Amino acid sequence: MNPDIARLTARTLLGQRRTILVVLLALLPVAIALLYRFAAPADADPERFAARALLGGIVTTTILPLVTLIFATGAFGQDIEDGTAVYLLATPVPRRDIVLARFLVAWAASLAALLPAAVAAGLIVLGGSGPGIVAGFAVGIAAGSFVYAAAFTWLSIATSRALVAGLLYVFLWEGTLSGLFSGIRFLSIRQYATGIAGAFFDLPASVFQPRLEPAPAAVLAALAAALMLLLAVRRLQRWEAGEAA
Amino acid sequence: MPGADPRAGAIYDLGYRTYDGPRLGRRAAILALYTFTLRGAFGIGRRTSAKIVPLVVAAFAFIPALIQLGVAALLGSRIEIIAPWNYLGYSEVPVALFCAGVAPDIFGRDLRYRTLSLYFSRALLRSDYAIAKTAAFVTALAVLTLGPLLLLTIGNGLASDDLPGYLADHWREFPQSLAAGLVIAAVAGCGSLAIAAHAPRRAYATVGVAAWFLVTLPLAGILVEIGGEIGRFAAWFSPFDLLYGAALAIFGHTPGADSIQARADLPLFSYLLLAVAHFAAAALLILRRFQRVQA
Repeated sequence: MNPDIARLTARTLLGQRRTILVVLLALLPVAIALLYRFAAPADADPERFAARALLGGIVTTTILPLVTLIFATGAFGQDIEDGTAVYLLATPVPRRDIVLARFLVAWAASLAALLPAAVAAGLIVLGGSGPGIVAGFAVGIAAGSFVYAAAFTWLSIATSRALVAGLLYVFLWEGTLSGLFSGIRFLSIRQYATGIAGAFFDLPASVFQPRLEPAPAAVLAALAAALMLLLAVRRLQRWEAGEAA
Repeated sequence: MPGADPRAGAIYDLGYRTYDGPRLGRRAAILALYTFTLRGAFGIGRRTSAKIVPLVVAAFAFIPALIQLGVAALLGSRIEIIAPWNYLGYSEVPVALFCAGVAPDIFGRDLRYRTLSLYFSRALLRSDYAIAKTAAFVTALAVLTLGPLLLLTIGNGLASDDLPGYLADHWREFPQSLAAGLVIAAVAGCGSLAIAAHAPRRAYATVGVAAWFLVTLPLAGILVEIGGEIGRFAAWFSPFDLLYGAALAIFGHTPGADSIQARADLPLFSYLLLAVAHFAAAALLILRRFQRVQA
């Protein structure tokens, strides 16, 4: 961890135009929650809506991976794409520290965009009831964006098309294929996030049922994040100047 | 050093020659640009790393049809036949990812590296350029939607015990499949190119196209569920739901009870009209962009 690199990365992320888009994307759940508050049909079940459609639905399946993907590839990929990564790698900073600093900033930025909006949306829909749903998904989102940020940091070092590769992983592997082959739930960051969230509430299966138990989800999430970070550090250590793009 | 006498200049014949071979003209230029773009969309003639994304996504579009063909070869008539509209519903995922991965490169390179002036200084009109590129991308998407359906038809035909009987029962599905596949390719292709043409940086274009397809999908589901009378119209504006609805309309098949088309309860033909409206709006946006862009 190197504070200067962290500061520079944070400045890169904040200075990008796409950050505005990301913040708008992250605020989408709040807009949906307000709409639910004012326009929902009278027979709607707020717990079911919050768990299945909002926090366990659009937030964890779409907004969480997309926001983390954009920040993680923005933190590393931008530098490599512009060819300025060489100047950073030529400094005597250990490459492990470069990876860790960028990864932590990408994770922090994703959390800053995701968590307040998700918590606010959950509170608006549930209005204080529904014990544990908001807290559970807040922890799940924090853990999920940690693993996603690690994976996408590795991707953006390993390939020049990290954004598309990440989209393929999220929407083809986690979205489509995991519906066909249920074993994929053990290899899906989305299921880790919902599994961890499931530790905080106990809802009937008709309302919301995570597909992984909390304990294996947490262990697998930690393993996946460690593996991804190791791969990212290793890939950057073997990076040769001039290899760019 | 004495100044050169300005009157002592001479013109040398450097041997420049004008081209006096055949000039193929505008039509050949459009055709060349079309084939070049179509090859480029699949990464043919480009470096290996540019081939990975299109070929992986294309493989995902074909795999279920290939499996069906293989199972049909092994098991014969005992397998369940996949309906073409169900397959098109699945195909929309690879189509969306192909758009997110490839559409940014169709116009992006020319916009970024300012090579448009080279095109526009030839016989090509600005609108020709936009139309040729768009048509090539739509053709590439049509390969993803129609190719697997063709394989599927062969697989289903082989699986049924009597092939003539199968053809007699299902001949009406062929023109319907063709129309539905083309509608999906045209709307998805033009829509994502309209986004990509306005975002020259590849990252923005990818995010924009991905958001158009993938964020609107759960959003429309939520709006249809809680939005009441107005919210159900959201099904018109999520490309996945719009195009699946349009395919159902073409096949004249009523949607399943839990599908968003059934919950939104809008007439099926309206999806087809909205698909045409999306196509027209996107095509106009692309044409306008290339009328105005600085070459």
